[in-house]
Amino acid sequence: MKRVMKGAIILLLACLVGVATSCGPAAAAKEIKIGVIGPMAYVQGEHHWYGALLAAEEINAQGGILVGDEWYQVTLVKVDSNEMVSVPDAASAMERAITVDKVDFLVGGFRTEAVFAMQDVAMDYAKIFLGCGASTPELCTRVADDYDRYKYWFRVTPMNSTYLGSVDFMLLGMVAEKIRAELGIEVPKVAILAEKAVWADPIVAGAKQLLPAIGMEVVGEWRPSPTATDVTAELSAIEAAGAHMIFTSFSGPVGVPYAAQWGELEIPAASVGINVEAQKEGFWDATGGKGNYEMTMNTYARVNITDETIPFIDRFIARVGEFPTYSAGTYEALYILKAAIERAGTLDSDAVVAELENTDRIGTAGRTVFTSDHDVTWGPGYVVGLGVQWQDGEMKCVWPPPGGEWEGVDYEGAVDYILPPWMVEAWGP
Amino acid sequence: MGIISGYIGRVYKQFTGEILVLPSRTVALLFCLTLFLLPLITADPYILRILILASIFAIFAASWDLLSGFTGQMNFGHALFFGVAAYTSALLNLHIGLPHWLTIPLGALAAVLAGLVIGVPCLRLRGPYLALATLAFPLILTGIIFAIPGITGGELGVSGIDRLSGSRVIEYYIVVTLMISLGFVMWKITDSKTGLLFHAIREDEVAARASGINTTRYKLLAFCLSGLFAGIAGGLYVHFMRIAGPSTLALMLSFQAIIWAIFGGIATIYGAIAGVFILVPLMEFLRVMPEIRMLLFAIIVMLVLLFMPEGLTTWVRDKIEKECPRCKLRNLATRKSCRVCRADLG
Repeated sequence: MKRVMKGAIILLLACLVGVATSCGPAAAAKEIKIGVIGPMAYVQGEHHWYGALLAAEEINAQGGILVGDEWYQVTLVKVDSNEMVSVPDAASAMERAITVDKVDFLVGGFRTEAVFAMQDVAMDYAKIFLGCGASTPELCTRVADDYDRYKYWFRVTPMNSTYLGSVDFMLLGMVAEKIRAELGIEVPKVAILAEKAVWADPIVAGAKQLLPAIGMEVVGEWRPSPTATDVTAELSAIEAAGAHMIFTSFSGPVGVPYAAQWGELEIPAASVGINVEAQKEGFWDATGGKGNYEMTMNTYARVNITDETIPFIDRFIARVGEFPTYSAGTYEALYILKAAIERAGTLDSDAVVAELENTDRIGTAGRTVFTSDHDVTWGPGYVVGLGVQWQDGEMKCVWPPPGGEWEGVDYEGAVDYILPPWMVEAWGP
Repeated sequence: MGIISGYIGRVYKQFTGEILVLPSRTVALLFCLTLFLLPLITADPYILRILILASIFAIFAASWDLLSGFTGQMNFGHALFFGVAAYTSALLNLHIGLPHWLTIPLGALAAVLAGLVIGVPCLRLRGPYLALATLAFPLILTGIIFAIPGITGGELGVSGIDRLSGSRVIEYYIVVTLMISLGFVMWKITDSKTGLLFHAIREDEVAARASGINTTRYKLLAFCLSGLFAGIAGGLYVHFMRIAGPSTLALMLSFQAIIWAIFGGIATIYGAIAGVFILVPLMEFLRVMPEIRMLLFAIIVMLVLLFMPEGLTTWVRDKIEKECPRCKLRNLATRKSCRVCRADLG
């Protein structure tokens, strides 16, 4: 009897073990953890997240990332850096992501001062950090100066601020040519209207120095607050100064009242430069349509930079309900990382860095090839940026101009720049 | 041998009679011991980072308390001292190559000079006028930093600075030891005759002057001392974070010092330190709820200040200790008579 009982207990235990084994979770899929770090309470951080989320969903739907002969799923970790408020907070968030959340790779970053601090933390742990927000060249200069320490840093977007400045002046040059050709004004007069912010200072200084040398006259400089709600005084002064162009540098909310009042007052001067508010899809409604003919530099527009651009914008809008800003370049960053890991066949940082250096990807914003200091290459055939103009409720790409007028770069869907009709009326022959 | 045992006996007697006799001092001792022993339990770099930053900000918040809590000189631009020292230390390290054990004291010295620069023109101001005037100084310095980007790095700041040590644990011990030492020094200053005069200036400056106290000299002294300690914090910060940027002068940093000190308990020094060591880790803990992190932080601070208007540590201390009505010494709340003068404690 005792022996029977013993046998029954062993059988029962064996059954329990068998049931437990068969009912347990299937072997967990291997994962690659990617930290998406940014100011999540701000649009820049939100688009960091949305861009990465869209890419991760697509990659996972395709089976994941093939490392050697094993498939890994991408798991995103949302890391709020709070970098707009606190730099130490951003560095702590980075260290937490690496040591607590155990991320394998990082993408994101926006505020330059904070990105410097976060970059140092990532380099301490030899973690690959793909920058998708800060444009200062010095972040990549560090790679050139101390390659062994900083080689894990790459900038995917935006192009560095030196090239942003170049594109800004090219847009101005294109509009000046249009004025010369259509209105017969040989030396167009330019009013510099830049928000009172540090980033705009070198642009203002550069414009004052450069414009006379390329056949333009600077009639004055106006510096409203980035949060001004009324710029009619500045616009009246610009009109009185006889300006044919307004060279704008706006990143703050002043961009909306400026464009609305410029259109409403029909200031006879073409508006061109940087207006971050005009890069957003809500700009048309925010200005009540008065922002028609406003022109700004941008990263994305519904134009065929590559075959990937428009489908990406459509998928982004369908998933998120918003037009992508440049920090949504995390989408590109994830695909670049995926390709590098698959070529390396390992997650080892040094091996992946070597493959990232060989990146040559036709992506949503152009062809991405990294320079020797791990910056994104700028120029015809690579990433060049865009000039967009609002034309009857639509954001149209107007630079590079259609027909390959600039260095042979011709994007399908680009249209001609249009001078505001009230300006043609005021200055026309 | 007899001398040594006699000395040990005296230290033990003082230890039991001065520290263990009061719960607040016992808690402070345990807090220091915990900080010193923590790396033996965990050397997690993230935890050590949070505690290093908390220690640096604790020195900073206590230095604000020394000036504004004790002398009543309401400083809304305390980040000036922090930023001046941070930039001085960073530039000396980067361009001249001085080691951190020299750049930190030199940075603190620069902050003392900044204390004099602020103190002199602000001597005639009081209340909101003084607060607004002090608020202006970091803004002015920020403007100067942006005006000479070739030296200060402008918006980007100065980076590539030497770290305190190659080891996180050694960095931790350097900063924590300094925090405890400087906290003790600040507390002893406020407990000295000078501290009493600071109190007198805050309570009634006219009466203090009528009593023959040179209030101008003591107010300037408070500005300089506060600058010195805040400057050490700034120097430590820059060698830990390895960047000195405009954020070291930000209004937010000045306001954080005020929040930490008032939350912990104003005019106590240890309250400011406690405030930082509660709120900084709390903010880190709240990262698990990033969307409502700032909201929860604000609610917690508001609730504490609503129910404990004199600060958390003061509220707790008043619950566990009581003051002797005759000799003003503190006693355990359960005692019936004063531990020194034997007066009835009710």
